[in-house]
Amino acid sequence: MTQPMIRFDKVLKAYGSLQVLKDLDFSVDKGEVVSIIGPSGSGKTTVLRVLMTLEGIQDGTIYVNEDPLNRMLVDGQLMDASRAHIRRIRSKIGMVFQSFNLFPHMTALQNCIESPIYTQGKSKSEATDEAMRLLNMVGLADKANHYPSQLSGGQQQRVAIARTLAMHPEVLLFDEPTSALDPEMVGEVLEVIRDLAESGNYTMLLVTHQMGFAREVSDRVCFFDGGRMVEQGKPDDLFGNPQNARLKQFLSKVLEAG
Amino acid sequence: MDWDWTFTFDVVLPKMWAAAGVTVWATVASFALALVGGLILMLLKTHRSAWVSRPATELIEVIRATPLLVQIFFLFFLLPEIGITLPPLTTGILAIGLYNSALCAEVYRAGFQAVPRGQWEACIALNMSTYRTYRDVIIPQSLPPIIPALGNYLVAIFKETPLLSFVAVAEIMQVSKLIGAEYYRFTEAITIAGLFFLIMSLIAALLIRIVENYVKRSILH
Repeated sequence: MTQPMIRFDKVLKAYGSLQVLKDLDFSVDKGEVVSIIGPSGSGKTTVLRVLMTLEGIQDGTIYVNEDPLNRMLVDGQLMDASRAHIRRIRSKIGMVFQSFNLFPHMTALQNCIESPIYTQGKSKSEATDEAMRLLNMVGLADKANHYPSQLSGGQQQRVAIARTLAMHPEVLLFDEPTSALDPEMVGEVLEVIRDLAESGNYTMLLVTHQMGFAREVSDRVCFFDGGRMVEQGKPDDLFGNPQNARLKQFLSKVLEAG
Repeated sequence: MDWDWTFTFDVVLPKMWAAAGVTVWATVASFALALVGGLILMLLKTHRSAWVSRPATELIEVIRATPLLVQIFFLFFLLPEIGITLPPLTTGILAIGLYNSALCAEVYRAGFQAVPRGQWEACIALNMSTYRTYRDVIIPQSLPPIIPALGNYLVAIFKETPLLSFVAVAEIMQVSKLIGAEYYRFTEAITIAGLFFLIMSLIAALLIRIVENYVKRSILH
């Protein structure tokens, strides 16, 4: 059995009295592509956000490659992790956001070389070569010197993917990567994500409303509702033969809508 | 009202010329101090650890809640008590700089908070250091709203420098008072001091607008 790349162990996340993740146990194998679906407020995006350390958790432990992310071993005891520890574990994870979050005052290329140079200590020429290779991969080599405001939404999201890949993460998180896009631009972004999924080089967690796409690229689909993982399974099983009542209701609504 | 041009040119202007230099120097030095001090105070105030952020917050409150003139007297008379004797001008620059640091800290805080949350999150996701996050991402984007606000403080500091006359700094207000007392003629000296402040403030406002436009053009595309 392969060792899980990501493991949530009884993770509790709450905003005040509102529990967003309730004692969540959840794991993703190395190289596995997992889609998370569910209604809004189900905690699906929160899974990605606490994994990326954008938000803390109240209880439980998140493991990345069996290394605790929010805790660290000190004299055989798990203590709250230091910033250095968090940054070291975090370097294995990359995230693509719904709203791209490109740096608007930097060109596409500058966006892609900023952190490789200053966080990973690469030389400018090395980082530039790598960034150009990645921009070429997402089909935007000719836009390297454009600013985000000069790019379409789909192009911006592809630059954001290249920027994430430039950090050589092992785990890729996609938080509704096509939700902010005009319909005609969804395809070009999904195509890039599909290539990444099929490459087998990454462990991928994808929060999406694109049910068809989730079914097509995922090894496993998880349905979240009310801060819990209610049902999971192979895409064809989960979509073709849903068991849980909430999932059936959710799927009928989503598929009806579009 | 009688205005004596000969007196103006022979006595008032030569004496006030040097004093104008002191006023400008006090303004520039205080402003520089406020720019750096404000940034430091803001970073301390928003520090993760309460041991750092609480004292910084309290200090800012104390500075903001007391008059600048009181603070100038405080430093001028109390620093020597603890063995620090500084020239009046230096003490004054320190006081005005510190006072405005507390005000500028708020400007920085507002400017940094105006940067969308997604930008901070992207920096975390790219594992960037706090230093690089501020230097390369947050500060450049917060400059357009920050610069006009900081520019206002430059003008405000300029207009606060006459307070230094209370501790006998030979800035323009002090010198015009001295001229008035010496010759029993206040009209020319005080009027020229006023004109000086008016003209310099207008020039400063113009410069700020130029810088503002330049930054807008070079940062936002």
